Amino acid sequence: MVESTPNALCFGDEFSASGAPCLVHVEDHGLTITFFPDRDGAVSRSESLRFSELTVSAGGLDHDQLVATWVGFKGQRTLYLKSSDVIRAFRQAAPDHLSQPLERAAEQVRQVRQRHRMVWSIVGGALLVVVLGLWFGSDVLVELAVDRIPVEWERKLGESTYHDFLAHQDVMKEGPSVEAVKEMIHRLTGQIPESPYTFEVTVVKSDVVNAFALPGGYIVVFTGLMKKAESGEEVAGVLAHELNHVLQRHGLERIVKQLGFVAVVSIVLGNPPGLGGVMKQLGVELMTLKFGRAQETEADLTGLQLLYRAKIDPSGMITFFQRLAEKDEGRVEWLSTHPMSNARAERLKTQLAEMPKQNTEPFTFDWTNVRASQGAPISTLR
Amino acid sequence: MKSEILYPGAFPMVRLELAEGEHIKAESGAMVACSPTIDIESKMEGGFLGALSRKFLTGEKFFFQTLRASRGAGEVLLAPTVPGEIVVLELDGVNEYMVQKDGFLAGADGVVIDSQMQSMSRGLLGGEGFFILKMSGKGMLALNSFGAIHKIELKPGQEYIVDNSHLVAWSTTTTYNIEKATSGWVASFTSGEGFVCRFRGPGLVYIQSRNPGSFGAWVRQFIPVSQ
Ligand SMILES: [Zn+2]
Repeated sequence: MVESTPNALCFGDEFSASGAPCLVHVEDHGLTITFFPDRDGAVSRSESLRFSELTVSAGGLDHDQLVATWVGFKGQRTLYLKSSDVIRAFRQAAPDHLSQPLERAAEQVRQVRQRHRMVWSIVGGALLVVVLGLWFGSDVLVELAVDRIPVEWERKLGESTYHDFLAHQDVMKEGPSVEAVKEMIHRLTGQIPESPYTFEVTVVKSDVVNAFALPGGYIVVFTGLMKKAESGEEVAGVLAHELNHVLQRHGLERIVKQLGFVAVVSIVLGNPPGLGGVMKQLGVELMTLKFGRAQETEADLTGLQLLYRAKIDPSGMITFFQRLAEKDEGRVEWLSTHPMSNARAERLKTQLAEMPKQNTEPFTFDWTNVRASQGAPISTLR
Repeated sequence: MKSEILYPGAFPMVRLELAEGEHIKAESGAMVACSPTIDIESKMEGGFLGALSRKFLTGEKFFFQTLRASRGAGEVLLAPTVPGEIVVLELDGVNEYMVQKDGFLAGADGVVIDSQMQSMSRGLLGGEGFFILKMSGKGMLALNSFGAIHKIELKPGQEYIVDNSHLVAWSTTTTYNIEKATSGWVASFTSGEGFVCRFRGPGLVYIQSRNPGSFGAWVRQFIPVSQ
């Protein structure tokens, strides 16, 4: 009866596939292997092997086990040893040519472990950056992800949402309002010739006070917003702001932030049956997208510069923002997606004061006519 | 400890008889019923931070439950979350198994559970995540699968190819390489065939007859997209 616990597994034709537990002793001349009685109650038996009978290699899942093979009475036998004490004893007792493959394997295991440690510390470092990034609300990661999304994808995304949306709207095909908005967009986009986007604009007949720009450059202006404006410059201010949300890819940044990069990747990889659903969901997200404070500031300041370059009076933008924020009459949809703050108008004023004075060029249309064509009551006209 | 599998098939339970003072570790939530002599403790293995990082990195259960027969002998009924078979192994101190993280149901006190980080390529391509459980020590180990459990016995040097999402557990005497199932990387990523493991014996490989990921995808198509 053997009291001690097994320290190795022996494989061979007469044993089960999980191997027979056995106790291995290293001696001067070789190994002694003691098999344990199995469940049938057979007596334990021992076997002695000379080192010269063995072939040795390293094996197992992590290549850290000693594998010894030899040919016994009943065919090929394989021994798996993982106890580090026994492996050490083997390396001391066995002749050099036998332990050489072990030394080599040990060196390989060390190298592999080192490489794993290095890879994992790089990953750990990257994870730490991610966590810190999220912790400090940095948008660096989101921007990194957004940078990888091709413009073509962005355009597809914006276009399908744009057409879906317009299908249920009363679209204004022509008239002074359409002409006026087209002129504004033309003046503004003339100052951004290197943009990868081709901007498209539609005027929608609706009392909703709103205007939005979808990723890829699809712009919608509601007549409700135009009615609230006292000049073309005021509407141009909103458009300059919207154009810059497109140019800075703020919409995509919000999507990536809200739905996760995975959603975008699943679109990019093109998982056909799921694509429609994701697209639809994204469309809904796009329409109700609430921009962040940093994005608003960025769109404000770059919008102001764009107005300036286009020689459109930028003070219209500021007065319009202030008026929209102050007036409590009715709901201003635009503010629900572009959160307004006093600091925004103040920052714009400071920025404008710092810019050198220049002569502005008026629009060719008469704003009074534009509003009259929308059926605005005469009394509100100046 | 005596163990018995009740209702073998898709919806089994395992009954464990504990002697007074004996205890087992179980996947949290696995306990179905027990004698009044059994106390249930939720313990965070590896301390709070260890448990937390495991939770975040692997999505693994935050707690293991410890069921202890502190007030006399008693029995415990355990069941896994998913429909599928339970298999009970007896660890003898030398046989060790790697178990994918959803495969663990319960283990005797003498069973040592080790969360192990895999190499980058195995973690990325293997499908069982960056962490797997290494089971060593002595005593009863209950594993559960999604679908039926099938045991593959490998002789020394014998090879077998397994789709990685069907893996449940494998002995540490085996080795495996991850290979593409189809030719071409793009095909591998999009066909859903993904990657396979080429196992090399000696040792045992336990596989499950259903693929949880594919099943999830199949179910998902019936769930309407919320507006
Ligand atoms: Zn805005």
